[in-house]
Amino acid sequence: MTVYHIPLLALSEQETRRYAGLGGSASFPGELVASACGDGLLLAKPRATWKRYAYNRDRQIIHAPSPALISSRDVAAHLQAAVEVAVLAVTIGPQLEKEVTRRFAAGDYTAGLLLDAAGTTAVEQTADEACKYLAGEAARAGLGCTSRYSPGYGDWAVEEQPSVLTLADGAAIGITINESCILSPRKSITAVIGLAPAAGPTPAGACRSEGCASCRLPNCFARKEPRA
Amino acid sequence: MIHLFDGAMGTMLHQSGLPTGACPEGWNLTNPAAITSIHRRYVESGADIIETNTFGGSRIKLQNYGLEDQVNEINRAAVRIAKAACGPSTKVAGSVGPTGQLIAPLGELAFEDAYRAFYEQISALAGGGADLIIIETIIDIQEMRAALLAAKAASSLPVICQLSFGADGRTVTGTDPRTAAIVLEAMGADIVGANCSLGPAQLVDIVSALAKACSKPVSVQPNAGMPRLENGQTVFPMGPEELAAWALKLIQAGATYIGGCCGTTPDHIKAVRQALAAAGSSAARTVQTATALTSRSRTVQLGPGSPTVVIGERINPTGRKTLAAEIRNGSFAMVKKEALAQVRAGAAVLDINMGVPGINQPAAMRQAVEELSLLTDVPLAIDTTDPESLEAGLRAFPGRALVNSVSAEPERIASFLPLAKKYGAAVLCLPIAPGGVPATAAERLEVARAIVEAAYLAGLRPQDLLLDPLVLTVAAEAQAALETLETLRLYRRYFGFPTAMGLSNISYGLPRRDIMNAAFLAMALTAGLDAPILNPYDPLIQDVLHSTAALLSHDRNGRRYSETYAAHTAPSPEQDIREGTADILARIKQAVLSGEKEAVPELIQEALKLGHSPLGITEQALTAAMNEIGEAFGQGRCFLPQVMLAAETMRSAFLTLKEALPSLVAQTAGTVILATVKGDIHDLGKNIVAALMENNGFRVIDLGKDVPPEKIVEAAAAEKADCVGLCALMTTTLPQVNITIDALRGAGSPAKIIVGGAVVTEDYAAAAGADAYASNGVEAVKLAKKLAGIKN
Repeated sequence: MTVYHIPLLALSEQETRRYAGLGGSASFPGELVASACGDGLLLAKPRATWKRYAYNRDRQIIHAPSPALISSRDVAAHLQAAVEVAVLAVTIGPQLEKEVTRRFAAGDYTAGLLLDAAGTTAVEQTADEACKYLAGEAARAGLGCTSRYSPGYGDWAVEEQPSVLTLADGAAIGITINESCILSPRKSITAVIGLAPAAGPTPAGACRSEGCASCRLPNCFARKEPRA
Repeated sequence: MIHLFDGAMGTMLHQSGLPTGACPEGWNLTNPAAITSIHRRYVESGADIIETNTFGGSRIKLQNYGLEDQVNEINRAAVRIAKAACGPSTKVAGSVGPTGQLIAPLGELAFEDAYRAFYEQISALAGGGADLIIIETIIDIQEMRAALLAAKAASSLPVICQLSFGADGRTVTGTDPRTAAIVLEAMGADIVGANCSLGPAQLVDIVSALAKACSKPVSVQPNAGMPRLENGQTVFPMGPEELAAWALKLIQAGATYIGGCCGTTPDHIKAVRQALAAAGSSAARTVQTATALTSRSRTVQLGPGSPTVVIGERINPTGRKTLAAEIRNGSFAMVKKEALAQVRAGAAVLDINMGVPGINQPAAMRQAVEELSLLTDVPLAIDTTDPESLEAGLRAFPGRALVNSVSAEPERIASFLPLAKKYGAAVLCLPIAPGGVPATAAERLEVARAIVEAAYLAGLRPQDLLLDPLVLTVAAEAQAALETLETLRLYRRYFGFPTAMGLSNISYGLPRRDIMNAAFLAMALTAGLDAPILNPYDPLIQDVLHSTAALLSHDRNGRRYSETYAAHTAPSPEQDIREGTADILARIKQAVLSGEKEAVPELIQEALKLGHSPLGITEQALTAAMNEIGEAFGQGRCFLPQVMLAAETMRSAFLTLKEALPSLVAQTAGTVILATVKGDIHDLGKNIVAALMENNGFRVIDLGKDVPPEKIVEAAAAEKADCVGLCALMTTTLPQVNITIDALRGAGSPAKIIVGGAVVTEDYAAAAGADAYASNGVEAVKLAKKLAGIKN
């Protein structure tokens, strides 16, 4: 198991604007977004951990100590070329969300909203950085990585979140889960990444962020691209 | 002369029958003949340096196989086996690979644990008779630093430091070849290089960058091309002839030590040997040896010809009680905040001073350096008079730091210079003599000369040195500024090293110190100051830095200056009109619309003074503004953060009104209970709704998140709620919406029920028995007003 404290040197203001629902609005004061991103950097404690398992793509089984069957068709398609999977968990810790709550209670609604968005940016960037690390590791063995795929994407039921968290050993970085399959700290992500022969057939989803294309929320304010 | 390493060991071991999952280094004890035979094949192929079979021979790696107690035996045996295969001129390099873990704070492995493991292994390799040590395939500069420090402490053998770079030209943890070369050469690496991860084609640029950035020989050991997985096996596709052709290109790029990594075999080495014989010697090399500081991932060059480097002075608790208190209680929030803000204000280096009396300063310095190395990518200056704090900071910093500073006092010379040498730091020489502060420039030059000579004796190089001209207070010493400026000129004439100095001492005791500091900065920059230590937030300082950059030709034709200052225009007449003449209610409305939270209380006071009634202000200005912004939001003309800014301004306005007329408190549009349903811990959306409801005149009882139905029923009855708003964000918590609605209805609650949340739909809300579905906060307010019978 690897625990990686991801250094984030900057949070994307553009992404933060998007998560805050600012869309393409250019008139909103940029310094408020910049300040939220700065505070986000100070409050986030970005950590990642993952485990790699052999994967049987024909039977869709992850060969963990307790083998896990992938029942989602979308995940199976995402992993169609994979010979291994990495199960990833990342979090930025609880401090940022506490500050968001405090800000709302104090009437600093905008700063609260923007900090929450900066937190989303931070956890997404943490996951992206972890994937980069993983890609480097995989490349040394001649493997390429698919994009990350999380419970709740496509037809992958969020009810599978507990087993994904266990496979990733998310507890090692302090992530817990409640009976409704919600992760704590809230700004946490789990995901599966397929590792497939780099020179083989192009792995599904490689070099392409699944992101919005497979999401079932049609009217999300943060949507970047049309629904697939 | 070109030196030829051997090729892969792992590839050969598997060909010799090492079972998958077995410990390769274990064979040094159980199957030495197989290892000797591999070495011999490489020697016969023409290798003149062979590497021991100890890549995973550290305690940390061996414990994966339960062999951690045999570090000494395994490593010594490996050297013995290699020696047995050597020809008369073959050298044996003791191979040291990575621990496989990341060093804290990036990972969990303590720097000292890594250091001890490397020290133990390298002691065994050196004790066994290795001719040199090769630390290889390292992906993190901090792990390399631990290993190199251990190698220097455990033996006096030459050390080769090879990192692994990715396709983006950086190591996994972000170090580029130039930065790596600067850090490792300064720390005493004898050869720097790259191996593994990439094929030879991708390594040409990396070798070239290494060769330009340091004066040490460069080594390279590429894989046999980029790996592929074929039938479950990792395959390296490049044949011997092709690798040999690339080897010549790597030599052209500056390498003088060459070999092979994964996938290379004796045949590859033989082909390279033949190509070398045909092609001859190494390429001519141009090395740029400038003074540079680095972080893990960034190099900052200083000195004549380079742009001014601002060293941010703000992380210093002297005279700053809050900062001192935070450092004392172990919270570094303010330190981190100052770091980010200074970098944003243009600091390229951060000075770190942890001089709080009575605390464990070395521990504080270590923590500050660790925290900041995760947060920023600028080099640090370790500012201390305590050798232990200095060592703690230098050890923890994954780059080349600046030591601030070394005076000519014997105890500083004796303790600080060797630490700078050991950790590859640069040194700021401060011309304070044992007898006191020299007054004239000529005296300062002489004291500086003594420090420089001591630094050379301690093994430091010219590019390790910076000079401080010393700044005294002009209010106390009339000649203070002139002597400093003259010292800068003499330094430039006689040494040419970069200069750095703290600026603000000059203005001590004077009013408007910023003016004095800014003027002095401009003068010092022309006299030869390269790196002022200053407060980068100061606007006048910023102005001087921007303008002098253009004047000193670091900002060609003032392009950046223009970009920065072109936007600074006079206030627009439109703004004047708005502020001056418009009707007060229109101005309040405009203030809410544009979210001017700070401006609105004054406007409210003014409106009250002019005789407007609170009700009039509320209806004609505040509510009208919220309605307008709600409408704009509904039409996609404005966005949620703008609505929230307006709500904040509204809140500020209400608070001012309530202060003026407390009776307003009693008037509400109705009572709303809000809750995120049981099992769901998302509360941002619910908080937004609460804020908007409150600022539209509702009394809001926010029950929080994860609220069980019975608590909602109880509160609805107790508070005589007009409306209950329920929120669910997950498919897993949707059923709780139905359960809660049923409970409210079952208890006979007359409250209207509005539901919302990411996964809730209008159809779902209707089926669950809600009175309404709101897709966003603005709509929720509108619905609540409608359901409560309020018009507008």
